[in-house]
Amino acid sequence: MPLHDVGYRSWKSHRCGPAATVWVIAVTGIRLAWESRWLRRLVFFAWSPALIFAASFFAFEQAVDEGRLSSLGEAAEHGRNLDGVGMLGTVLADALGGDPTDVDVESTRRLVWTRLLLAFMRAPQALLLAAVVGLVAPTLISRDLRAKAWLVYFTRPVGRREYILGKATILLLLVLAITMLPALALWLMGVLVSPSLSVALETWDLPLRIIVASLALAIPTVLLALAYSSLTAESRIASFAWFATWVALSIAHGALTTADMVARIRAEQAAVEQLTAADLADGHATTERPSRDFHRRTEPRPSAFQRQFRWLARAAGIDISHDRWAWVSPYHALGVMQAAIFGIDPRIRSWGPPAATLTVITIGSLLVLAWRVTAPARG
Amino acid sequence: MTASVAPIPVQLTDVVKRYGRRTVLDGVSLEVTPGITGLVGPNGAGKSTLVRSILGLVRLAEGKARVFGHDPYRRPRRVRELVGVVPEDECSVPGLSGVEMVRYAARLSGLPATEALRRAHEVLDWCDAGQERYRPVETLSVGTRQKVSFAAAIVHDPPMVILDEPTNGLDPIERRAMLGRLTTLARSHGKTIFVSTHVLPDVQAICDRVIVLARGRVRLAGTIAELTRPPVPEHHLTGTGPLDRLAADLSTRGLPATVRVGETGPLIALASPQPDQLGLVWSAASSVGVAIRSFGPACRPLEQVFIESLRQAAQETAAPDQVLIESGGINAPA
Repeated sequence: MPLHDVGYRSWKSHRCGPAATVWVIAVTGIRLAWESRWLRRLVFFAWSPALIFAASFFAFEQAVDEGRLSSLGEAAEHGRNLDGVGMLGTVLADALGGDPTDVDVESTRRLVWTRLLLAFMRAPQALLLAAVVGLVAPTLISRDLRAKAWLVYFTRPVGRREYILGKATILLLLVLAITMLPALALWLMGVLVSPSLSVALETWDLPLRIIVASLALAIPTVLLALAYSSLTAESRIASFAWFATWVALSIAHGALTTADMVARIRAEQAAVEQLTAADLADGHATTERPSRDFHRRTEPRPSAFQRQFRWLARAAGIDISHDRWAWVSPYHALGVMQAAIFGIDPRIRSWGPPAATLTVITIGSLLVLAWRVTAPARG
Repeated sequence: MTASVAPIPVQLTDVVKRYGRRTVLDGVSLEVTPGITGLVGPNGAGKSTLVRSILGLVRLAEGKARVFGHDPYRRPRRVRELVGVVPEDECSVPGLSGVEMVRYAARLSGLPATEALRRAHEVLDWCDAGQERYRPVETLSVGTRQKVSFAAAIVHDPPMVILDEPTNGLDPIERRAMLGRLTTLARSHGKTIFVSTHVLPDVQAICDRVIVLARGRVRLAGTIAELTRPPVPEHHLTGTGPLDRLAADLSTRGLPATVRVGETGPLIALASPQPDQLGLVWSAASSVGVAIRSFGPACRPLEQVFIESLRQAAQETAAPDQVLIESGGINAPA
């Protein structure tokens, strides 16, 4: 018998409540997940895009400080890369609206910062979020099912609610660590490199928007990933389902958008042909047949620079043409929602259907979780 | 002033539980009182469902369950604070060491962080877990895992502990130690221990009361002495010397006795004597030259009681024709 064996002793003291249980599940889950070398690498890597965006903030504030925002705008108009990745140029060219001589610094700053933050959260961070959640979430519940660890929880004063909240908190903390924290750090850095700290008051709402946008990004994705994990004891299947959802629905969105574009072009061509036929009938004959891209010539052609960074423009909310299929793909639905939260595209026509999709995903995932997590206990 | 009556640890009244069309618990009524109660029954008897209904994990179709006066389905949190469970299945959180596992269980049961770690080490010391406690749970031997599981069940000091096959995979020394710990908890700390097991010698060694469950019904319930008492009360006498002469002598003195061969050798079975007849037995033994080794009320082996109750349960639930066939009452069809 060990010397320190004091035998069995009774224990009577204050017990912690359900909130502590949620926190214990979350902290233990994060500690176990953090043992994965891949997760550590991914989280550190997830902060690297923030450095690039920090360069954009710095370049912009430097130009404001030196009073050369106009020249920066002209440079952007001419397609010059201002921050190494072209993001600032893309945003500025649109923000200044082709009139860099008449620049209102305050409104330009708000526009530029908002779009930079949206682009940051939508382009690199949303994809990294999918990777981090895909790495951690599939094991969270499926491993409990396989190792019968659900007995550890449900034979103790842990309810379904605490269990789901605890597991969701693991992912929420990781997701917020790679989306919300770097975005807030970017805002803070922007304030610090700006000429005056009063910029913090001018942009006070941005941190709140960052928090709301991060939660809008995190909650449906985390719950969906957990629901997949609860449906199988094999985490590989849950991983596959998770990544397949993102890829397959993005492809579906792309296909539907392309189909729409083709239909629109055909309709325009048909309209042109009808006009030509009408002209012929009126006796205004023309021997020249309209080319296939006739309709395009009626729109201003984007510069080579803008074409090159068109995806950035879309991610930064510069291109806010109505995406009627955004609700099909979680990635696009989340992007539209974030654009609405940042005040870039507040049209309900734009964010209504994606919001409905995300609500359905959230509620559906919660129902699946509530049904599945105690299923083994019910026999 | 009225003294408050402590609630009965477990009280089930006409409990029915069905999975689809299959009735797993069919009107189960039982009480688990302080001390050690054994739950025995064949596979599929409904033991696990019974334990789950005590923990509020399943909703009952009919009947009433109370654990320390609480409805386990409506107040599962309160009930699980009062109950510690050692499941039969090996269940652990992969990646945690033994002591972390027990600490995690303590934290989930509501203990504050520092207290949980202190208490985890304390109960692991009591369970003699040694340095093995620092190894990941999934790499531990079956015996050590069982100790960790037991420590996790009692770390929050529950007034009742439910154990499902607690001696599975333990060597004889560890098995004895485990039974000793259960006895200590019950006798010295007033815990209610509810053991579900197939190992009847374990039940006979430590249990105060036994409940036999078969085909979803309680077939027998009572103390070990009550259950193992033969239908006709008798005493058994063993000794060295001419037992047949002693039996004949006792019969002539008005105590009908016969010689039988028991598990340990020949013995005399005699109708239970009245207290004033006990001296008669000793004088008769002395007169015929028999040295008495043991003399006391006869009891049947628990295993025999268990098998008989199962046989009875099978006969009750089988079709009447089948009972007749099995008992040889009519000719079996070709």
